[in-house]
Amino acid sequence: MIINTTILSWVTFIYFGSSIFYMFKMVTGKEFWGPFASFIALAGLIAQSFALILRWVESYKLGIGHAPLSNLYESLIFFAWAIVFLYLIMEWRIKTRNLGAFVIPFAFLFMAYASFSPDVNSGIRPLIPALQSNWLISHVITCFFGYAAFTIACGLGFIYLLKGLERGQSSRPFLRFLPDREVLDELSHHSVVIGFIFLTLGIITGSVWAYSAWGSYWSWDPKETWSLITWLVYASMLHSRFVRGWRGKRMAIMSIVGFASVLFTYFGVNYLPGLHSYF
Amino acid sequence: MKKTVLSFLSSLKLTIALLIIIALASILGTIIPQQYEGGESFRHLSPGLVNAFKSLQLFDMYHSVWFIILMCLLSLNLIVCSVNRFPGSWRLFRKIPSPDRSKPFEDLPPDRVLITKRRRSEVIERVESLLLRRYKKVKRKDTANTISFYGEKGAYSHFGVYIIHLSILIFVSGAMIGSLFGFEAFVNIAEGESTNVVSLRRQKGVRKLDFTVRCDKFSIAYYDNGMPKEYRSNLSFLKNNKAIYQGPLLVNHPVTVNGIRFYQASYGSIPGGQASISIKKGNGEATTIGVKLRDSFYLKEEDARVTISRIEENLMSMGPAVLLNIQSPRGNMRLWVFKDIEEIKEGIPLLFKKVPKFNPGLFKPYYFKLNKIESKYYTGLQLSRDPGASIVAVGSFFIIIGLIIAFFSSHRRLWVRLDEQQGETRITVNATSNRDPVGLRREIEHLLRHLREAVVVG
Ligand code: HEM
Repeated sequence: MIINTTILSWVTFIYFGSSIFYMFKMVTGKEFWGPFASFIALAGLIAQSFALILRWVESYKLGIGHAPLSNLYESLIFFAWAIVFLYLIMEWRIKTRNLGAFVIPFAFLFMAYASFSPDVNSGIRPLIPALQSNWLISHVITCFFGYAAFTIACGLGFIYLLKGLERGQSSRPFLRFLPDREVLDELSHHSVVIGFIFLTLGIITGSVWAYSAWGSYWSWDPKETWSLITWLVYASMLHSRFVRGWRGKRMAIMSIVGFASVLFTYFGVNYLPGLHSYF
Repeated sequence: MKKTVLSFLSSLKLTIALLIIIALASILGTIIPQQYEGGESFRHLSPGLVNAFKSLQLFDMYHSVWFIILMCLLSLNLIVCSVNRFPGSWRLFRKIPSPDRSKPFEDLPPDRVLITKRRRSEVIERVESLLLRRYKKVKRKDTANTISFYGEKGAYSHFGVYIIHLSILIFVSGAMIGSLFGFEAFVNIAEGESTNVVSLRRQKGVRKLDFTVRCDKFSIAYYDNGMPKEYRSNLSFLKNNKAIYQGPLLVNHPVTVNGIRFYQASYGSIPGGQASISIKKGNGEATTIGVKLRDSFYLKEEDARVTISRIEENLMSMGPAVLLNIQSPRGNMRLWVFKDIEEIKEGIPLLFKKVPKFNPGLFKPYYFKLNKIESKYYTGLQLSRDPGASIVAVGSFFIIIGLIIAFFSSHRRLWVRLDEQQGETRITVNATSNRDPVGLRREIEHLLRHLREAVVVG
């Protein structure tokens, strides 16, 4: 195994550890665990960034240099990276460590899928002609930042629904440690907004790439169509909030539905009949 | 009647319904294979269902009448809503409320108040210059003991939504223009050949270009591990037999000629583009010639014309073969010449008895031999002209600008009041905003800090 994939598979365990600490923090409500969890997540992020740079350098040493954003393995790794990166920024800005238990596990799962699934090839492969485009790099980066923001919104949606179980003093104590519903709703909305802007950018950069690679900025192939569907789901969500004033539970559910659509755009599309010849 | 139509078109319920219907229709479109080229197989569907789908245009959904109607409805909905709302937003943008309103100052928390003993004229001057530096449309109103200021920031934030919606209209019109005035086509051209006729996508027939495209060469470069690294077509574009453009075409690097963009889309090989055969007469010297399909040559002594009527890479699992059609005074004869005739003969002992036309020496006294078949590449080109693309690009630019304005700017209106009370000046601050209450609170705190520095501490 090459060194970068070894580091990346260790990062998987680091995120697992961080998730566990976040859960301790959430369930016990003890501030004590929080800094641990954040610190471990940060250490994982740094190690992961290092491994990504290493992978980039290695690809150049192999004479097939390209940014590590070109296949399923690399995109999963970048997805996890973006989730942790955005999450830590959010944590730093809102100064509460109660949300990681529902966000970092996603990063762990994507890393674990990338590192340990037999369907995912972790080798550094050269770029086939269609992928040799700088637009592809900006496309992948913007899309996955968007997906990461939607992942956080989905995690917050789950927390919101969980918080909804709280009834008076008698209910499970750990629910009390979660942020207030208004705060969750606001945070989730911000994540959706960030995700929406990045997804829009991702669709645009993707069409520019398509325009230079296969002759049409939009050809309704399943992946494009599903990214449009995802975009429409979030657009309806934003409209129901802006104009109809929907808040709370409905939004939480919509952020989960939106994320399901993201996952389908990413993974599910491969099972649909495709038309594009991507060489 | 007119009213109900308008209110229907201006309702946000319609918008959300349309967004959801379009999303659902798009899902359907990814499940039902969309038939661009025809030839898609629907064998698992019953014929009745196929006909029903056909009449609903479900096999070419995104270009169907009903999909276009949905898009038009969406656009109308957007236009009507925007026209309805715009005057209100314009008023919010232009209107400058009176600086001495008292409502903003009711029930203010104590931390919004500063008290200073500094000379009054100095306080006024400093507050005013601070506000002028940081806000737009600063207005001042003086009354007996009170001076009131109004300032604002980010009034343009009311237009973010319009810019977003406008860019969606731009997208729709760009797409319409593209599909009305543009075209998409494809063509396969074998090496060395040229054409000026291309097939339009979605079975719309063919189109004749006003120039000719010739494929001079197609080549593939590979990485060490065997993956393809580069597909390259060397193309010449000719008009009246003069080259108007000549150059390589690579994936991700389209070439534009006379407003038509060419893309490297696929490739393939034509088996038996050419063959090399040797002809021997009796015990004489063999002559080797290169031939292409439908080429013919003449055997003088026998007054025979030999035509290459087929070239096969692998005939009946027996390897490469060419079919010779020999016309001579002796009559017509068809002869299959295999490359591996020796091996075939070993496997099937009485082959020439059973199938005389496999005998390369059948046309006496000549003996034919197939040396090799050379396959020839063809390049698959995709062509398009899309006058709407630049319009869509403009829309992309504006939607990003619009999103940033709509989500990251807010119209903040600020009131500051200076009241004189027994030699002290009481400064009160309040503000409102159309969105982002958290940012507004931060801004007020920021302003209070600066005011304190300017008039209390410093
Ligand atoms: C996909 C096509 C879209 C359609 C058909 C559409 C349609 C509409 C309509 C009809 C309204 C209501 C206007 C009114 O109440 O009079 C509205 C409001 C709004 N739309 Fe869109 N919209 C679309 C996309 C977007 C996008 C992508 C955004 C960006 C997130 C957006 C942001 C907004 C906002 C913020 C409002 C509320 C304005 C306010 O209440 O001040 N729209 N939209």
